[in-house]
Amino acid sequence: MADRCNLLQQINEISFTVNDLNLYLDTHPLDENALDAFKQAMEQRKQLLQTYAENFEPLTMNCICPDTNNKSQTKTKYPGQRHFTWSDGPLPWEGGTL
Amino acid sequence: MWTYEKRLQFPVNIKETCPKTASLIISQFGGPDGELAASMRYLSQRYTMPCKEVGGLLTDIGTEELGHLEMICSIIYQLTKNLSVEQAKTAGFDAYYVDHTSGLWPTAAAGVPFNACEFQSKGDAITDLIEDLAAEQKARTTYDNLIRIIPDPSVREPLKFLRAREVVHFQRFGEALEKIKSDLDAKNFYYFNPEFDKQFVKKPADQG
Repeated sequence: MADRCNLLQQINEISFTVNDLNLYLDTHPLDENALDAFKQAMEQRKQLLQTYAENFEPLTMNCICPDTNNKSQTKTKYPGQRHFTWSDGPLPWEGGTL
Repeated sequence: MWTYEKRLQFPVNIKETCPKTASLIISQFGGPDGELAASMRYLSQRYTMPCKEVGGLLTDIGTEELGHLEMICSIIYQLTKNLSVEQAKTAGFDAYYVDHTSGLWPTAAAGVPFNACEFQSKGDAITDLIEDLAAEQKARTTYDNLIRIIPDPSVREPLKFLRAREVVHFQRFGEALEKIKSDLDAKNFYYFNPEFDKQFVKKPADQG
């Protein structure tokens, strides 16, 4: 089982890379190195978000799937029941997972 | 259109209640150089930007500022969520407590409520981008001031992250200003409005 805190930290880090490259590419849209770095980071981000949603709760609307989310059945009000997983997990401002 | 991502841009984990610190940091929520004003400034200015790339940059930075707003509110929330009556009475949080309890409400540290006059959307690309450059520096100065007077490392770390983002946004807005200038006649930068007086702006075909 993947570690919740560790995985979220990895998502935060790769998402920061994507975000910073996004702003850089807004003003340097032809920079080959930045385009490659963006592509690579974005692939990693998608993979990590998917892994997190499968093990824990979905972090984005696109990751919500009642049949595959939250295999660990943690931080949910409805363990063992098919339910809308968007409400699983802590609220971001509670600072719970790190 | 926006969608929500259920995480903070940078983690906030504060254990120690401190209404005094919250009453200072709240300026970066609803104060003159706060994140709410930043987000509304860029997301309002973008519609009339004559250059598509700059409209896109304002959208992306305005969106990131919403994430910063969420971080600031999380800091204030965590600093006050276990507030005792005794703590509410002291440390300069009493007036806020009377009106809002521990609820989040956008105001400056000095007590002035959030006001749209704290940012400009002038409908002139040069004017607005220079305002944006100044706004990023003013926010950076505010973070410098906060970091100097706040000792708790769990509060300082997210503030240091936010301070660094102001520096990056300043850099990107500088590049955006250069992009707008490159679409103008080099002799005429400052005495017409490139958003309104469109006849002076080079058409794409002229750019070679």
